[in-house]
Amino acid sequence: MVFAAEEVMVHATDGGWLAQWAWLIVVAPFVAMVAIVFFGKRMPRKGGEVAVGAMGFVFVYAAALLILNITKGVIYQHSIQVAQLGNVSVEWGWVVDGLSTMMYFVVGILSFLVFTYAIGYMKGDVRETWFFAAFSLFVGSMLVLVSAPNLIQLIVGWEGVGLSSYLLIGHYWEEKENSSAGMKAFYTNKIADVGLIIGAIVLGTAVGSFRYSDILDAAASNSSVLVPVAVLGGVLLFIGAMGKSAQFPFHVWLPDAMAGPTPVSSLMHAATMVTAGVYLVARMYPLYAGMASDMRVLIVIIGTVTLLIAGLLAIVQDDLKRVLAYSTVSQLGYMVAALGAGGYTAGLFHLWTHAFFKGLLFLTAGSIIHAVHSNNMSDMGGLRKQMPVTFWSFTSASLALVAIIPFAGFFSKDEILATLGNNGYTWAMWIGILGAFITAFYMGRAMFLTFFGSYKGEAHVHESPGVMAVPMAILAVASLIAGWVNIPGVYEGFHHWVTGRAIAFPSFSTEGFDVPVMLTGLGFALAGIIVAYFVYFRDAETQQARDRVRIPVLWPLLEHKYYLDDLYLATLINPIKGPIARAVNWTNSYIIDGIVNGAGVVARILARFVYGDLDQKGIDLAVNTAAIVTGSAGGQARRLQTGKVQQYAAMTVAGAVLLVIAIVIFT
Amino acid sequence: MAWFDNGWGLSLIVFLPIAGALVILLAPKKNLTAIKSFGLMFTALPVLLAAVMIARFDYGHASTFQFGTNLSWIASINARYHIGIDGISFPLLVLSTVLTLLAVIYTFNHWPEPYNPKAFMALILVLGTAMNGTFVALDLVLFFVFFELVLLPMYFMIGIWGDKTMMKVPGFKIEAETRLYAAIKFFVFTLFGSAFMLLGFLALYYRSGDFLASGARTFDIPTLIDLGSQGLFTGTFAFLVFGALFLGFAVKVPMWPLHTWLPDAHTAAPTVGSVLLAGILLKLGSYGFIRISLPILPQEAHRWAPAIAILAVIGIIYGALACLAQTDMKRLIAFSSVGHMGFVMLGISTLTVVGINAAVIGMVAHGLITGLLFFVAGSMAHRYHTREMAKLGGNQTLMPKMGAILSFTAIASLGLPGLAGFWGEFMSLVGSYNPAFGLDLGVFRTAMVFGAIGTVLTAGYMLWMLQRVNLGVPSAEWDSHALIDTDVYELTAWVPLMVLIVAVGVFPKLVFGATNGAVVALVAKAFGG
Amino acid sequence: MIDYLALAPEIIIAATAVVVLLADLWLVRKYWTAIIAVVGTTAAAIPLIVMAVSPVGDRVLFDGSYVVDPFALVMKGVFLMAGYVVLLMSFSYVESDRYYEGEYYFLLLVSILGSLVLGSARDLIGLFIGIELVASPMYVLAGFRKGDLKSNEAALKYYLLGVLASALLLYGSSFVFGLTGALTFDGIASAAGGLVHEPAFVMAVLFILAGIGFKVSAVPFHFWAPDTYEGAPTPITAYLSVSSKAAGFVALLAVVYRAFGPASATWAPVVWVMAALSMTIANLAALKQDNIVRMLAYSSISHAGFMLVPFVVAPYVGVEGLGNAVAATVTYLVIYAFMNLGAFALVIAGSRKSGSGTVDGWAGMATYAPGLAFLGAVFFFGLAGIPPLAGWFAKFVMFRAVLTAGSGWAVGLAVIAALNSVVAIYYYARVVKAMWMDPVPATVPGIEVREAAVPVPLALALGITAAIVLVVGAVPGLVTFFSDATKVLAGGG
Repeated sequence: MVFAAEEVMVHATDGGWLAQWAWLIVVAPFVAMVAIVFFGKRMPRKGGEVAVGAMGFVFVYAAALLILNITKGVIYQHSIQVAQLGNVSVEWGWVVDGLSTMMYFVVGILSFLVFTYAIGYMKGDVRETWFFAAFSLFVGSMLVLVSAPNLIQLIVGWEGVGLSSYLLIGHYWEEKENSSAGMKAFYTNKIADVGLIIGAIVLGTAVGSFRYSDILDAAASNSSVLVPVAVLGGVLLFIGAMGKSAQFPFHVWLPDAMAGPTPVSSLMHAATMVTAGVYLVARMYPLYAGMASDMRVLIVIIGTVTLLIAGLLAIVQDDLKRVLAYSTVSQLGYMVAALGAGGYTAGLFHLWTHAFFKGLLFLTAGSIIHAVHSNNMSDMGGLRKQMPVTFWSFTSASLALVAIIPFAGFFSKDEILATLGNNGYTWAMWIGILGAFITAFYMGRAMFLTFFGSYKGEAHVHESPGVMAVPMAILAVASLIAGWVNIPGVYEGFHHWVTGRAIAFPSFSTEGFDVPVMLTGLGFALAGIIVAYFVYFRDAETQQARDRVRIPVLWPLLEHKYYLDDLYLATLINPIKGPIARAVNWTNSYIIDGIVNGAGVVARILARFVYGDLDQKGIDLAVNTAAIVTGSAGGQARRLQTGKVQQYAAMTVAGAVLLVIAIVIFT
Repeated sequence: MAWFDNGWGLSLIVFLPIAGALVILLAPKKNLTAIKSFGLMFTALPVLLAAVMIARFDYGHASTFQFGTNLSWIASINARYHIGIDGISFPLLVLSTVLTLLAVIYTFNHWPEPYNPKAFMALILVLGTAMNGTFVALDLVLFFVFFELVLLPMYFMIGIWGDKTMMKVPGFKIEAETRLYAAIKFFVFTLFGSAFMLLGFLALYYRSGDFLASGARTFDIPTLIDLGSQGLFTGTFAFLVFGALFLGFAVKVPMWPLHTWLPDAHTAAPTVGSVLLAGILLKLGSYGFIRISLPILPQEAHRWAPAIAILAVIGIIYGALACLAQTDMKRLIAFSSVGHMGFVMLGISTLTVVGINAAVIGMVAHGLITGLLFFVAGSMAHRYHTREMAKLGGNQTLMPKMGAILSFTAIASLGLPGLAGFWGEFMSLVGSYNPAFGLDLGVFRTAMVFGAIGTVLTAGYMLWMLQRVNLGVPSAEWDSHALIDTDVYELTAWVPLMVLIVAVGVFPKLVFGATNGAVVALVAKAFGG
Repeated sequence: MIDYLALAPEIIIAATAVVVLLADLWLVRKYWTAIIAVVGTTAAAIPLIVMAVSPVGDRVLFDGSYVVDPFALVMKGVFLMAGYVVLLMSFSYVESDRYYEGEYYFLLLVSILGSLVLGSARDLIGLFIGIELVASPMYVLAGFRKGDLKSNEAALKYYLLGVLASALLLYGSSFVFGLTGALTFDGIASAAGGLVHEPAFVMAVLFILAGIGFKVSAVPFHFWAPDTYEGAPTPITAYLSVSSKAAGFVALLAVVYRAFGPASATWAPVVWVMAALSMTIANLAALKQDNIVRMLAYSSISHAGFMLVPFVVAPYVGVEGLGNAVAATVTYLVIYAFMNLGAFALVIAGSRKSGSGTVDGWAGMATYAPGLAFLGAVFFFGLAGIPPLAGWFAKFVMFRAVLTAGSGWAVGLAVIAALNSVVAIYYYARVVKAMWMDPVPATVPGIEVREAAVPVPLALALGITAAIVLVVGAVPGLVTFFSDATKVLAGGG
């Protein structure tokens, strides 16, 4: 039976049943989604329990895989062919290697915790069931993306993530802004995806296969088919990555994505969406490290620009979640810059640590918003007393983000700065260090405005229920210890986890501690906190009063997000939606269709002429001819109703004459 | 089962519907149950037969014509009743039988005005025969007859049960009832194309006499393909013939700028009409290209390919932009077909295995997705009594099921990977990045880029439509209306389509498994691999 | 010794005509005359069938000036069937008005006799006799609606112009005889080759074409048709548009392919022009018609044009091509005959029910006469040449024949024909649209008229024609079986 899918196994080193059944973690969320859609409404927790169950399974399985990888190391890839077009083969499959295992774990643990949190957070929401279905789809798509052994499956997961983000961001679609935010996210990604898709086609066609293994083999072995398109392909794929990982100038969608429920933001920023771009670059790393290395400087530039401009934007936000959103963009900038600079481990390490503390930051933010019923820091203040768990969690996460030793962020960020420095991107390193200051400054601001001083809101503040508090607590711990898996000279496990790849890998070791850089970075971070302390700590009548510092030119510019959105609207969206579309439609109905209808009208006019003038009246003209030819003045005939007989006769004879002429012409 | 494999199976699939039409004409006008059950029977049987074929089809030899027969028909002009299916026509035949059945089921409680079940059901059935016949015909005359046979039923469907609102013909001082304007426009436009197509067929017929050993001329498609693959049809003759066929097929597809009948026809037609029109009729054109133009006139196909690619891409972008300007939901969906068929034609124009495979799966996907879209749009118009997107909105709240299905279909329509629509678009882009040997890379790679941009615009108008129709808070005017969510007939007609959309998306081999072998053989034969 | 079997059909029809005339004197119940006429026509078919199946080959009489070959047999068959249908149509129509029934049927039969003669005529004299025999009774019948000025006028015009045409024909014939010294077509043919560049001969050919062109109402000899069709009693119009046109084509086929075969280079261009003009002018004029009969008149002119198309290949092709050309014209003729007869039968029935003969008057007929509305679709779309109705095949063979000749002129004409067949849709579809898609107008008569049953004979006529149109559309072999036999005329087959 032809419809039986043929299985193809590549690079199947050991891994045992655990790796062979790893596809279960990809399928589980989809099963959960279907179950929720059909039976969710009838369940006590509206389907949430199913989702959490599925995520729990993913978490446990991913943890098992991680342990397997740590203990024995695993490199396993399995493909199932689902279509064959000439020499193009379409395959579904799953990869279990260092990189994907790490991602499975990140996705698994955060999904599990965030879903649990969401049980509490989304209780009594308008569309609780639908939320959990879409949320499961979100995770599922991400796992499809991560597990992909080839670019086509990557694209499938990639766009699936885009779709679910659209659904979740627009969750409260009664408000037009929310659905528009969802669309904005989808469009921005879709535009970037043009790069991804074409890049995939370019590389896949050159190598004759869309499998990473084949493409990266070609890249590693310097195959001549790949050389001419390597850089182009690298750039195109990176454009795709820029979209998902919200790199400048595609970052605009991420802050608006706050329209979605907070758990969505948490997962999206930590594990399931923005990390995709970084993952793609990491996955294709042998290409970027080798043939396409010429364009890596572009990656560094984009990353550094992003980390700087986004960091600045975070300073002026009043919406707590937007502060965090821009900080995410900024941190992604770090990761991308690191990867560009050759810090494969550094970038991924920051992805890893960032996942925990940024996930946590959003959960705490959610918990606060849940309590004060507002996103705006202007309605907050002095919350640390009423919300201890939230406060301490927030603190832990913030310290991690600000990269204070020994919190997670410290190790990863230091790794990045070291990489930038040691690989000759000193300028980038300094921007990174400046970024550290900025990070510390806006986090300090957020911290002080939210938790210190006196409460300025109306709502009755209360700590969140256990179902929300516990996940926060767990992540608070993680934010502290997550960085200890890769301490240069002490324990460099993480480096070995993620470099366990099927492909011949350009060997490099993790950067050792670069003490001067480390101290400078730490110093700038502390400086940032201190400055923030002096500016924002002191309480006042209103939050606005506390939030008083304004740098003339810079602040307005930042408040308008560098006018980027306005630029896009003015130059791209509105023209296409408005004048251009209308012009095309006009052309359609008035020009092209006009010709068609015109033909009909012309036919009618012609008909009137032929019948009226030629066939009937025209005969009168021939009367004279009639007189000559027939010789009989048709006197009597005139008494007829319409005296046309002799005219007809005339025409008949005239016709004969006409035929004579015809003959002369033709023969 | 010999009888089944030797033509009877196919012949039954083709002629059962029209037989049903005759039976229904004899049935008493009043007896609705009889009309329904006959309609159901005579469209369900072909589906069952098609199912048997799915089981019996020899996928290993997808390039050979199967289940066929070749009998004398019009001896004096040597036109024969030669039928058969290969991997290319097979999926389309299945699609057409299934859609016809679903259309019948849907009609059961959606009789359009003026209520005349007998005639309406009969027309659907005649249409069924015409569509199935076109996909199995292996003789140019037979193909022509079936190809034209779709005209009458569709003309009456649009003209009698169509949209009765008045419209102004843009740019002229002409007022016309939409249905009448659309009906005659569709009729004349298509006939214009096929008149030239017929001349092309006859030209091939005469030229074939010069090459066949017997000297006897033939309309037999496989024979002509053999001649064509030997490169016998050449020069101005071939160029003109290809042009004539192009007119015939391109109008049907429709390709820009011959597309203007489409928005009017689709918008004016009753729901079932639009579904079959978009679902199957458009495919007749693109199928004609693959079955006739390419293999019989390979050199010409090669010469015309860049032009076709350019027109296709213009269609993609143009269609999407036109969609962004629509206020009428149904008209928007209609215009979207221009874009989607643009991808199909782009795939064909690459003359590659990948591209043509993409074209076929693109046709199937478009049939499923746009068919479903028109179903849903029709049902909504049926309930809201308006198609103006400005008036709609909040449909998701008023009719959750309907809204969910609409969203699903719209998202499928924008080519989301993992659903059926993706393969046609992605693979035709793959094909056009690397078109057949000797085609101008510049043209085709530019085409690829614009095609990719087209997908963005497609997402643009589809999501925008969802936002305007589905999301937001419903306007107060609907409070008074009792809006019933999807009924059982609708679900019976729609769920199979949704399942297929997912199935083909997740497991494209459902289509490629049949097409690939045939396409590889076709390309190898016509273009030397 | 004369082969009387060969003449049997003519004799039977002639006898029937006389009987009808006499019966009209004695019988009180006039409709008996009609029945006799029908019986006679049916009887006349028997010898035809006998001859068709008999092993004896062509039956040549009077030193080759009168031949019964397959061509003759087929055409006679067509004439008899057409006449039969016209008789059926006439029944109720003639009863409904104060007519001289006897004379009516007598004259009709005489005309039929003429067409039979024409089928076999193979010399100029037989040709002329045949044509006149077909036409003369029509001069009278066209004006048979005595009370109606339009009818009188129709008759007068038809008569005057018919005479003129006959004059041209005769004049041309005399030239031919003078130049070739032969009357039989074969005799002329043997001499014609050398005369191609003889101006007088060209003139003669021209006049004969003009004369026949009038009979087939081809542009520019068509002017009489619309007025006459509109004025004459509808069955007679049907007869004019089918049998007398067919007779004209039989004459044309015989003359040009047999007599002037070698001179095809001379007449083909003329026919080219006639064809192109007939199709285009008539189609455009038809677009403006509101009266259905008048519209059908123009449609029949354009169809004459389509039937002329295959002729133009004569100079370019060999015997086989000529055979195809003849067969194509005959096929077209046969299919057209039944579609058009059906259309006119429909006009009679439709006008009764709707009390109007205009397109708008027929609006909404589907609501009160769905059967007729259905037939309307069959006949009018048949005439338009839309598959699966027989018309498509007529068009198809026409294109097939004309494309035989590789010449650009032929292809050009084919393109003109193609475009015209598209234009034609407009006015045919307009009637169908009115019947099916427009609201019923106020002018429509009361229920009892509207829903009155169609008289049996008329229903029979409709049934026969519709059945043929539908079946032939699916199985065109039924027609080609006969039309292929007529290739002999071109010496091929």
